Amino acid sequence: MDKPSVESWQPDFSLSTTTVALPSLVQPALETPWPADVLRSQPSVYSLPLGSNLAAAVSLKIAPPKLKIESYRFGMPSAWRAPAQATPAEVAASPCPPKTRTRIEPPSDVVKLEDRLFYLLQPSLEALIGDCSLSFPAHPFGYQFEGIAFLYPRYAAVLADEMGLGKTMQAITAVRLLLHAGELSTVLLVCPKPLVTNWQREFAHWAAEVPTVAIEGDRTRRRWQWEQDDVPVKIANYELLQRDRKVIAELGLHFDLVVLDEAQRIKNRSSATSQCVRSIPRRRGWALTGTPVENSPRDLVGIFEFLSPGYLHDEMKPRKMGKAAADFICRRTKDKVLTELPPKMFRDAEVELTSSQRASYELAEKEGVVRLTEMGDEATIQHVFELVLRLKQICNFDPASGESSKFERLAADINEVAASGRKALVFSQWVATLETLAARLKRARPLLYHGKIPPAKRDGILDEFRNDPKRHVMLLSYGAGGTGLNLQCSEYVFLYDRWWNPAVEDQAINRAHRIGAAGPVTVTRFLALETIEQRIDQILREKREIFDTIFTDAEPTQHTGLTQKEVFGLFQLRCPNGPIDVAA
Amino acid sequence: MTRDDPASLGFLTVLEHEQLGLVGGYLILNTAGRPLEFHCTAPVKPNRAQEILFGPTLESYLYGEQIGQALITKSDLLPLAVCTDIERVLSVRPYVSLPVALVVRDVEVSPSEAVATGAASVPGTYWRIDAAHRASDHLTQFALGTNRLAVSAGHIADRDTITASLTEVATFDLGEPFERIREAVEEAHKTNHV
Repeated sequence: MDKPSVESWQPDFSLSTTTVALPSLVQPALETPWPADVLRSQPSVYSLPLGSNLAAAVSLKIAPPKLKIESYRFGMPSAWRAPAQATPAEVAASPCPPKTRTRIEPPSDVVKLEDRLFYLLQPSLEALIGDCSLSFPAHPFGYQFEGIAFLYPRYAAVLADEMGLGKTMQAITAVRLLLHAGELSTVLLVCPKPLVTNWQREFAHWAAEVPTVAIEGDRTRRRWQWEQDDVPVKIANYELLQRDRKVIAELGLHFDLVVLDEAQRIKNRSSATSQCVRSIPRRRGWALTGTPVENSPRDLVGIFEFLSPGYLHDEMKPRKMGKAAADFICRRTKDKVLTELPPKMFRDAEVELTSSQRASYELAEKEGVVRLTEMGDEATIQHVFELVLRLKQICNFDPASGESSKFERLAADINEVAASGRKALVFSQWVATLETLAARLKRARPLLYHGKIPPAKRDGILDEFRNDPKRHVMLLSYGAGGTGLNLQCSEYVFLYDRWWNPAVEDQAINRAHRIGAAGPVTVTRFLALETIEQRIDQILREKREIFDTIFTDAEPTQHTGLTQKEVFGLFQLRCPNGPIDVAA
Repeated sequence: MTRDDPASLGFLTVLEHEQLGLVGGYLILNTAGRPLEFHCTAPVKPNRAQEILFGPTLESYLYGEQIGQALITKSDLLPLAVCTDIERVLSVRPYVSLPVALVVRDVEVSPSEAVATGAASVPGTYWRIDAAHRASDHLTQFALGTNRLAVSAGHIADRDTITASLTEVATFDLGEPFERIREAVEEAHKTNHV
């Protein structure tokens, strides 16, 4: 029907009139022989034309206007189907969902309206979980729902929550929901080797119906595992991935999603790990890391080369970089979102070296500096590091006498911990230091967990520490014990020596201070006064400022990049040339 | 539209924009609450002549016959029923073959108000029954799970149809999808699609 011309219609309601000249009925007397009555029987007939246009009739069609309608069709979810759905009993056992509604919001890089509406029109996460199709062993926290809602629609994302907030659970749940929604069917999860079993365990816990396979074994077995297309989630470690890079290419594997755990591993773009990971064909990429920036903003650029190549670049100022990356990064800290988590308390245990330690220290420093000075421009950063490590070792134990003021303090604290039936974690960067501590703390029956412990034995050690009430101390290296472990049973953490960057220290601390922590966590940071440790501590503080500049709105107080000049400056040495990266 | 389609439920609402006029939104969800189709109209604004000629019937004409009918007709899927959160949209019912129900929203009222209305006898839940919010007398109300629905008295059979066919979604909050429609319409409006 035509659109009615309602607005333009202006009917003319004025009546049309016609002037009619009526003939006179009074006839003049005729001169005729007929009598008058005969004349009356023959009246004259007059017609009065009224006309057809006395009133104009107008018809108005009231047709509905054509409505413009935008339509979007999303299709039915398909693809992967869970082999075993939760039974009614399991569902009934699940806690009731909270009244809050966490909605999935489309990320800013999704520009097509249809795609944006697809996410906007999804039900709340609580509704999805509460519709009785998915059971959960424990109900997620509100901020975890927000983290899941953040990951769900994103093709490039960094979940950078502080350690202990449950990045693993959030990633698993997002994967689970996307699998059920039919948006994913193949997922590759890459993590450090010691964490593979942890991820398998977490998948079994949070998404029991989702089959996973850990890529391991000999070449033939691994190839068979890569080929399994009925297992939606494959878990591989970084080193193995490099070995199987060719196999992945030969098989033409393509993943709907690649998740990198401890994604700071790819911060160095020129590393083989980074290149290998970036070469995996994928549709989506997520990076999980509590420390997206360890040393410099360039670390974040390295991670983004995997997520969205070229989006960030080295020349960007930290503030600009933070702004550009904001929509891709979800970063929460415990103090902001987990008010129910017990507090974390820091104690800086500043100790004076014993006299023999001081003598050894000063001698080593003097000789080292003299040697470096003599080397002149031949001195490299490696030479400086060697001296730093030597001095730090003396701060731990005097090689000549075996004395250690740190140990004296630690031993007293450990005795107290054991006496009160508590548990403690002690971190050092050296296996030798850990072994010395183990020997000296024998009465507390410490357990050792470091890189030289065979992987097959590690889970058993962790279980023993968690479950044996007589095991009060675990001695860990930052490298092996700093990431991925859940040791909430510990209420004390001792950093016997300090690492180069605070992020690694935070990782270590958060083995104990995480969800499930039974009580407050006390962190003791040892620091030998008037030594290289104190100078490094200053650098660590400055590094933290870099992080805060990118991830908060705080004003940067000064340039905080660690330069070669600053490293040489630890010993008041002249820097040969240019800025460099310092190993984490 | 065929009955062979997967079970789905339609949600139809009309949003009123001060400058633009009325915008209709129609969302079809599967029984897990996931979106299958979404349709929205361009803004509709009656002109003066329509206001005069339609008189008091204008609103039901616009909400039901014009917007509602156009949206339901446009969809590919044939849902089990159509829910709306606006009573005037029920006027679409004579023009479509689907059962249409109003989702009656409960509004918290003060305890004194509740006592006055007698609603306080139901602990924790108050039904607002003042003139502005009470479902009209020409509606027949009924409960579906945790939801309270109403159908036109002229289509009382819809109640039985809905009760029989929507048992699977009885635990859903049938008022929630209208929030999604509003957000989607706003998004479409922001991008100048509406």
